[in-house]
Amino acid sequence: MLRKDRQSEPAAKSASGDQEEQAQQHSDAFAAEEPFNPQTAMILWRMRTPLIILICVYAIAILGLVLIPGVDDQGRPWHMSFFHAFYLVSYTATTIGFGEIPYPLTDAQRMWVLITIYMTVVAWFYAIGSILALVQDPVYQQARKQSRFKKEVSRLNESFYLVCGLGETGYEIVRALSNEHYRAIVIEKNADSLLDHNVHYLPEYVPVLIADASIPKYLKMAGIAKDNCKGVIAATASDEINLKVAISSKLLHPHIMVVCRSDIQSYEENMRSFDTDFVVNPFHTFATIFSMLLHSPSMHMIFNWLTGAPDSQLNQDEEPLRLAHGSWILCGYGRFGKMLYRKMLKHGIETAILEADESICEQFRNDFPEHADKVITGSGVDAATLGRAGITGAVGIIAGTNDDSNNLSIIMTARQLNPDIFVVARQNMHDNTELFERSEADLVMQPREIIARIIRAQLLNALLIPFLLKASKQDEQWINVVVSRMIAVIGDRKPYVWTSIIDEENAPALIRALQLGRKVCLRCLATDPAARNHQLECVALLHERNGRKTLMPDDEIELQPGDKILFCGKREARNAMQWSMQVMSSLNYVMTYESEPESYIWRKFGRRYRGEERRRQPRQ
Amino acid sequence: MEEKKVWFSNERVWFSFFMILALTLNFGFFIGELDDPEHHNVFELFAVIIVNLIATILKFGDRTQMGPMLLATSLVAVVQLISAAIVWAFAVHINDTGLTPSVMATIVSLSGGALLANVVSVILLIIETTFQRR
Repeated sequence: MLRKDRQSEPAAKSASGDQEEQAQQHSDAFAAEEPFNPQTAMILWRMRTPLIILICVYAIAILGLVLIPGVDDQGRPWHMSFFHAFYLVSYTATTIGFGEIPYPLTDAQRMWVLITIYMTVVAWFYAIGSILALVQDPVYQQARKQSRFKKEVSRLNESFYLVCGLGETGYEIVRALSNEHYRAIVIEKNADSLLDHNVHYLPEYVPVLIADASIPKYLKMAGIAKDNCKGVIAATASDEINLKVAISSKLLHPHIMVVCRSDIQSYEENMRSFDTDFVVNPFHTFATIFSMLLHSPSMHMIFNWLTGAPDSQLNQDEEPLRLAHGSWILCGYGRFGKMLYRKMLKHGIETAILEADESICEQFRNDFPEHADKVITGSGVDAATLGRAGITGAVGIIAGTNDDSNNLSIIMTARQLNPDIFVVARQNMHDNTELFERSEADLVMQPREIIARIIRAQLLNALLIPFLLKASKQDEQWINVVVSRMIAVIGDRKPYVWTSIIDEENAPALIRALQLGRKVCLRCLATDPAARNHQLECVALLHERNGRKTLMPDDEIELQPGDKILFCGKREARNAMQWSMQVMSSLNYVMTYESEPESYIWRKFGRRYRGEERRRQPRQ
Repeated sequence: MEEKKVWFSNERVWFSFFMILALTLNFGFFIGELDDPEHHNVFELFAVIIVNLIATILKFGDRTQMGPMLLATSLVAVVQLISAAIVWAFAVHINDTGLTPSVMATIVSLSGGALLANVVSVILLIIETTFQRR
C-alpha cells in the first residue's frame, strides 16, 4: 500500500531522498486514517485463506449431498434439498452430529458424509489454528495494546501529565502524582521496567505505552496535543532523548509545561534555549543542596523534610548534620567535582583536590593559578595519596569520582585514617544503594533520587522551590526559628506541603466574603473550622501576590483574590482548611465565631429571627 | 519482490475473476420470466451465493482507496442473496406454500438487487484498474 501511494505521488517519483522521505511521511499519515483499526484489518487479512477454504469445503459437501440420490421412509427415490444438506453439513462439520435427518441415509450418501466430515473438521481446525496463531503473534499483540492505549487516552478527559521514561525517577514522579490524584500517562521504551515498577498498584490508573518517547508519533499517541495535557516530564536516562522530547513537546503543544532531566551541561543549556520550563541537573542540584548544608545544617534539614517522599517517616530526634570548620578533600574533579568546588570556594572553605587524570590537574592549575598547589595527582583510593592531601587534619571528604567502587574504597580508606571525618559520597549506579547505606557516608548523592525530589516538588507545589531558594539566603537564626515552628506543628510524619490558591475555583466562599467587603486575614484560614479557639497544625511558608513573594507571611496579612499561599503541616489541616475556603458557614464561623444558615429557606427564616441583632452587630 | 515490474499479479487475477464470475452467475440466475420457477435454477442460486461469499472475503484484504467501497457492495450482494435463499427455504420447507409466482418474484427481485450491487462492484474495479496502472 505504501508502495502504491508513493508511485501515485508525482513529487516522489522524480525527487531526491529528502522528498522521498516526505512522501513516506505522507503515506504514514494516510495509514493512520485507515478504514479499520489495525487489529481488525490484521484479523481480516489473515483470515482470508482459512475462510475461503471453509466456504469451498462447505460448498462441495452441500453440493455432493444434494446431487447424490437417496430414498425416503417409503423407499421412494428422494433428493436432499439445499436446506437439508446445509443443515446436515452444519451439524456434522461442527462435530455436533444429530444423526441421519430427515431420512436414514443410503450407503452412497454415507460415503459422501464420511468424506465431508474429514474435510470440514480439518478446515475448521485450520481456521481456529490460524486465529490462535494470530492472537499470539507479537505484532498483533502490539497492535492490540496500542489501540487499547489510544482508546484509554482519548477517553481520559481529566487533566493529566505525560511522563517519559519509567525508571527510578519516572516511577517516583508517577507515584507522587498518583497519590495526589493527578492522572499520568507513561511512555517507556523498555517493557521490562514495567516489571520493576508496577504502576498498576497506584491509586490512579496509569496507561503505559511501550514505545520510544523520542519519536513524535508516539508522543502524539499519548495525547500530548490534547488540551487537558498539563505538562510533559522527560525523565529518561538519556539526555539526547530528553532533549528530543522537550523540543517535540514545545512544537506539538506550544505553552505546555515541560520539565526535563539533564546530566550534561551542554544539553541543559540547549534545553533552556527554547523555553523549557524547568531543567533539573542532578549535579547542579546537589551542589545547591551541599551549599545549603555548608550555609546552615538546619536549612538542609528543612529541604529534606519538605521535598521528601510524601509518606515517609521522620526521625523525631534527627539532628541536623553538624559540620566542623576546617579543610576538605575533594576526590575526582569531573562534572560533579567542579560544581562542588565552586560552592566551596564561595563559602571560603580550604579544599585539596585529588584527581587521577594529569591533564585535568593541569587544566585546574591554569583555571585557578592561586590554588595550583591544592591539586594532587592520584585517585584517593590508597592511603598514601590521601595522606598527602592531609587526611588526618581534614574535617570532610567528598568521594566524587564517576566510579562507585572507587568512591566506596575512598570512603573506607578515609574512615580508617580519620574515623571522625564527614563523608560525602557520589553514587553513580542505582544498584549500589545498599552498599552506600552500609558505608555510613553522612551524605550520599543519588542522581535519580535528587531528580525525583525536585521534579516532584516542582509539579505538586510550584512555590516550594522559590521558598527553599529564598530561605537559604536567610541567616542561621531565622532558619532555626522556622525549624522550631515546623517541629511544633508536625508529628513524626514528613510534613505535608500544599498550596492554597485564593480564586473562584478553589476558594468560592472566601471570594464571596471578599466581594461582600469583609476582611479575611491569614489567621482565619489557619483556624480550625470545627473548633474556633484551636489553630490548625500548619505553618504558612510563602505568600505570593502579583509575583511578589513574602517569606513566612504575617498572620494578620489580609487576603486578596489571586493570592497563593504555601503551607506545610499535617494533611488533616489541609482538609480542614478547605472547609473554610469553600463553605460560607465554615468561613463565617472562623471569622466571627457565629454559624450562619447556608440554605435558602433557613437563611430567610434566620434573617427574620435575628434581624435586629444583626443590625446591631454589623459583621466586618 | 515489490521492485519487480509486473503488469499483472496473480492475486489481482483471482480477485477480478471472482468478482466478474459473481456478476455473470447472478445475471444468469436473474434472467428469465420474473415469477416462473422454471427459469430460475436453485443450483445457480447456490453457486451465486458461494462465489459472492468468496469474492467478499477476497476483498477483506484489499487496502486500496477503493477497498472499503468494494467490500460494501459485496456485502450488500451477499445480504440480498442470503435473504433470497432464506425466502426460498421458508416457502418450500417451512410454510409449505411451494414456489408460487409471488414467492418466486420475491426471490428473483432480491437477486436482482444483488445483481445491481455486483454491477457497481465491477464498475468500481474497472475504474480502479484504469487509474492505478499507467
